[in-house]
Amino acid sequence: MSIELKKALYNISALADLGQEITSANNFHEKIKSVFYVITGTFLANKGAILFYDKSTKKLNTLTQKGFSPDELDCVQSAELMSLGKNEPYFIGDGSVLKVAGAEILVPLWVRDEFIGVLLLSGKLTAGPYTPEDIELLNVIANQIAVALNNHSLFMDLSDKLEENRRLYEEMRHIYHGTLQAFAAAIDAKDAYTQNHSHRVAKYSAAIARELGWNEHDIEGIYVAGYLHDVGKLAISNALLNKVTPFTPEELAEVKKHSTLSHTITAKIKFPWKNVEDMVWHHHERLDGHGYPEALAHESLSDGVRILSLADSFDAMTSQRPYRKKMDVQTAIVELRKCLDSQFDNKIMLVFCKVLDKEIKGELPEPDILPHLDRDSDLSIISSLLEGIIVELSSPKN
Amino acid sequence: MKSVQFKVVSRLDGDAAVIYPKGYLNNLSGESLVLECGMYIGKGITKIVVNFGETDLINSIGISLLLQIIEDLKNIKGTICFTNMSKFLRDTFEMLGLMQHMTVFPLESDALQYLKAGTV
Repeated sequence: MSIELKKALYNISALADLGQEITSANNFHEKIKSVFYVITGTFLANKGAILFYDKSTKKLNTLTQKGFSPDELDCVQSAELMSLGKNEPYFIGDGSVLKVAGAEILVPLWVRDEFIGVLLLSGKLTAGPYTPEDIELLNVIANQIAVALNNHSLFMDLSDKLEENRRLYEEMRHIYHGTLQAFAAAIDAKDAYTQNHSHRVAKYSAAIARELGWNEHDIEGIYVAGYLHDVGKLAISNALLNKVTPFTPEELAEVKKHSTLSHTITAKIKFPWKNVEDMVWHHHERLDGHGYPEALAHESLSDGVRILSLADSFDAMTSQRPYRKKMDVQTAIVELRKCLDSQFDNKIMLVFCKVLDKEIKGELPEPDILPHLDRDSDLSIISSLLEGIIVELSSPKN
Repeated sequence: MKSVQFKVVSRLDGDAAVIYPKGYLNNLSGESLVLECGMYIGKGITKIVVNFGETDLINSIGISLLLQIIEDLKNIKGTICFTNMSKFLRDTFEMLGLMQHMTVFPLESDALQYLKAGTV
């Protein structure tokens, strides 16, 4: 085989290597490094560099290089290079276009009308000249790496936009949650006895939903429903909400309107989560159909409603009210247990007991329920109680 | 080209380091060969033998890495010898005109003898 044929085969093989590296699954940095090795190995250049044009700063940045002075590379000006032929190798000669010691040939990298960067190479280790075949090959390689760099640039632009959108979305979420918390504070402020009730119901509901295996989006939805479930109380008079003596039937009917009012208010909001309005509307419904406002029962009640209902009742029982003292945690759990089937759902109760038991045993990194419970509670007694209910509700008949 | 996991082992023989690249010298994993040589150069070793007995194939990436090693040794006025090369490797180096820039021996022992004789 003649030396020319061998060289041609080597060049073809180098092009194949280049294609393989450009399309490899490597990250961009590794890809550029490999491409750079292919180029310097193909032309036996002991010095070389790939500079990438940053459109925003209008400066050339070194992506990879070996052998050249970094300071000299930093001083390479794009304007002169942009006037040269697109992807056409250019012998630097007297250095009027570029002053980088040891650089012998450059190729301005272009994709259509977009200047992408520049490839610089020194002379060959063998001291031989760049042949016309080398120049042709360099032109082909320049086209390929220009496209690869441009693709990366487009990808980075998209990534930047995506990141910006994500940041804006996060900001909006913060504002959204801040607004919700302000709403909840307004609701709770109407009633001195229910301070932070909405916050706790949100936390408890989210903890149960998480234990049930809900996804993060839906957990956020029930968290929001927890915050807003009593928003309708804003329309009920303070005097009525803070009444110390038992409600008259008329007063009770008025207070009961709050869940429908909550629905009316929340229905006007376009939530990114499903069923928030349904959950706030029906959080006083019961499995036996004796709840309000629609007396729905069993199948008509979603898991979200059942969770919110239990979380709301548990917090109401363990909080001080104007007309009664707060229950201790054990008593409240026993009370919930008594109301299974008629008011609360077995599955939700089981999950609530499990998550609270896990929090007591320190099995969850961030407890949501435990920090809000009475500090005087005897956790070992509560845990035993929960274990008993878990065994009972886990048995096949349930 | 099929990829074979590339690795490098080495040993010291007197004041010379003998390096054994194993596998195809055709991707970024070949940088370990440059690093291994650099490690010996950093320790003041100026004589390096690269035994290619277990490296049958090389591509443009591998050539680039070898250029770097040759350059590194040249910068410290050291000597690098290549031995046990397959016909493919010899043909490739000859075709590229690299043989004039390398000290090549058929066997590792020949290279070590050459380096010990001090005829550097």
